[in-house]
Amino acid sequence: MLEIAPLAVAGIDLTLGTTPVSGTVYGHSVTLSPAAPMVRWSLRAKDAGVLSAAIGRALPDAIGTHHDGIARLGPDEWYALLPEGSTLPVVAGQPLSQVEVTARAVGLTLTGPGAAAALGRGCPLDLARLTPGRATRTVFETVEIQIWALAPETFHVEVWRSFAPWLWHALAEAIV
Amino acid sequence: MILIHCPYCEEDRPEVEFTYGGEAHIARPADPAALNDREWETYLYIRRNPRGPHAERWRHAHGCARFFNAVRDTVTDRFEVTYKTGEARPGDAK
Repeated sequence: MLEIAPLAVAGIDLTLGTTPVSGTVYGHSVTLSPAAPMVRWSLRAKDAGVLSAAIGRALPDAIGTHHDGIARLGPDEWYALLPEGSTLPVVAGQPLSQVEVTARAVGLTLTGPGAAAALGRGCPLDLARLTPGRATRTVFETVEIQIWALAPETFHVEVWRSFAPWLWHALAEAIV
Repeated sequence: MILIHCPYCEEDRPEVEFTYGGEAHIARPADPAALNDREWETYLYIRRNPRGPHAERWRHAHGCARFFNAVRDTVTDRFEVTYKTGEARPGDAK
């Protein structure tokens, strides 16, 4: 008779952590912590100039980089990640789309010499190329995430709310 | 893992970020109502399915989210070249 062991963690037990988790990955220390509440916007426009003028901010030129809280995810797609309480002017009558998606995602922060290695446990991207100023959408295992390289050895990870408890546990498990 | 060069992101990215989109350069007929059943069937379903270099659509779904075209060798699974949607298939790759 085949015995199947119960799962170590049931899905219902997964919750997003509220206190930082510290540990090491391959001997390098790393701290995982929930990021402060942020304001998020999904910004789409074919013409970057139209969008830039509408929101009154400079936009990053290169795909996969961020500048001043706005990342360029694709040829016509930007993502704003601003401190809580920030606002963006909403402009009508222009060929662009501005959607506030604050509640869609939550942020996690990884800091320390082992931060890239912790992400590398589930992310197939070449993280050595993710130098400060880079920001890109990618995957962790099968979960879509955004990685923002804020500073050396400091990454902000954006993940959709419903995936966040799982991602938190996956990262917390990685940094024993 | 295969690395695929995204022509929009301009870097090599892991295969799992991409999804396959079928054969490339199949233009929708300008006036579908003018086609007979055989021609419409050909447009919808008939594909070249070559052994060797194959121009196909790929989407960088978990990256810039863009469709682009790639010439991939169906024997070796090697990506010969990738190029943006709307550009002609590079001649050197046949």
